[in-house]
Amino acid sequence: MKKNNLFVLILLFWSLAPFFWQVYTSFSTTESIISPFSYVQNRWTLNNYIQVLTANPPFWRYLFNSTIVGLSSTGLTLLIATPAAYAISKVRVNVERIIRLFLLGVSLFPYVLLFLSLLEIARVLGIGNNLFALSIPYSALSMPLAVLLLCSAFKDLPKDLEEAARIEGLDLWQRLRWVLMPLISPAIASTGIIIFLFSWNEYPIALTWLSKAELITLPVAIARIAGSSLYSVPYGAYASATVLGSIPLIFIVLFFQRQIISGITQGAVKG
Amino acid sequence: MTLLFLPAAILIFSVFAIPIIRYTWLSFHASSVLTRLEDIPNNGANWFRIFGDDRFWQDAYQTIRFTSISVTLEIFIAILIALLLDQKINNRGLVRALTLLPWALPTTIMALGWRWIFNTPYGPIEKIYSILGLGSLNILSNPDTAWLATIIADVWKTTPFIALILLAGLQTIPNELYEAFILEGGGKLNAFQQITLPMLQPYLIISLLFRTAQAFGVFDLIQVMTGGGPASSTESLGFYAYLNALRFLDFGYSATIILLTFIILIIFTLLVWLLTSRVNKLLKSEIL
Repeated sequence: MKKNNLFVLILLFWSLAPFFWQVYTSFSTTESIISPFSYVQNRWTLNNYIQVLTANPPFWRYLFNSTIVGLSSTGLTLLIATPAAYAISKVRVNVERIIRLFLLGVSLFPYVLLFLSLLEIARVLGIGNNLFALSIPYSALSMPLAVLLLCSAFKDLPKDLEEAARIEGLDLWQRLRWVLMPLISPAIASTGIIIFLFSWNEYPIALTWLSKAELITLPVAIARIAGSSLYSVPYGAYASATVLGSIPLIFIVLFFQRQIISGITQGAVKG
Repeated sequence: MTLLFLPAAILIFSVFAIPIIRYTWLSFHASSVLTRLEDIPNNGANWFRIFGDDRFWQDAYQTIRFTSISVTLEIFIAILIALLLDQKINNRGLVRALTLLPWALPTTIMALGWRWIFNTPYGPIEKIYSILGLGSLNILSNPDTAWLATIIADVWKTTPFIALILLAGLQTIPNELYEAFILEGGGKLNAFQQITLPMLQPYLIISLLFRTAQAFGVFDLIQVMTGGGPASSTESLGFYAYLNALRFLDFGYSATIILLTFIILIIFTLLVWLLTSRVNKLLKSEIL
């Protein structure tokens, strides 16, 4: 038991130390950043945060953009994936196996390599620089996993249930909306959270689709900050940007850890 | 019924199949600033060029090196973490959530964080090194060490993901199996070899495949942490394709890079698959 506690401490140190170093740096003055382990007169400051929050556009704007992209992608994906998953759960077993294998293969694909063609599609359709348009590639990319997860949730439901609802005179839409979907809501929640995290964090496509400074999402903003000399102070402002960008995710992980973990593991098991 | 499936099928097709078709087309055309981004057939010049392009093969070597080392490390560390989280520990839920945090953060955020940690001369690692009187490490500006730093950052970020998959696998193994094994006089290490590993195998294989494919496409981490440098030593194939498309505005060549990367990935994955099944057979024959 004692030994385990020690290992847990090591694990937590490994997972959290880089983050705490960011927090520490973000509250440090330039002098203390330069010499972190020696005595400095003015050690702490809020200037880094003030600088990032009063920049143009202010930092919260990126958080807002990412939230819009995250929510719209999650909504669109679930809207399309749920009926598809239902349909697949009804086909013959060997057909279903082929579809599953195909979806699994597609979801393994390193999607970064798609950026060039997606960029061309955005240009042809004229949907670059539109936050809501980003949800189209995002939901397409999350579709294989979402369908896999929801399909196995539908399959786990007892067969008689839908039959009984049909005899009661409920049509397909009513059965889905009032009988089946409430029952698979845990699976919908964990699928949704996983999609939200993906869309919130996605970088290569957001990078190539968005160019207007007030529209870029958080990951793109962070990369831009890293690549620019806009913040002349070394790293103090960077660090406060990474801390601000991490806070929403810390809350999401703490509140939804059960859903996230079940999403990840179901994806691996059912795939 | 088909109507229910159609929108999903169209989306998946347009995002995965159209690009492959388009890349194949582009790779046989010149499409760059010089052609005003119009596609002009060039008799496979892109393909001749890529086989003589040292930078491409250097990046292919770097991508394979990055993938094999980081995925191997991740799997080993993830097994240890999963075994630990499977024990009775205090506040298991909270520990699990905190372990998961690195995976949930955007890659660009953690890449920037690690760039700062490895910074010379202000980063903590460099500072500790020089306080100990060992001189200067210069991790990120030395081509021999910068790629190791990117591996550490990647391991930090993705190990929790694998650990959770393996943990789910561990929890499917009934305790009675271990009890019976111990009763028959088996040791703990033997139990790990003969019960845990075989039962975990499907979970290990899916994590291995998934992580191999994703690590092969590494992009965000490299762009933010090192920018591909120093001297292109950390440049991945995905990043090279990006540079060709958006910096050098050579879409035809970029598409060729992407296609060949894809082909190399398939070959590499097949090799990994063969290797694991070979190792598997060896292990099994040893047990029997």
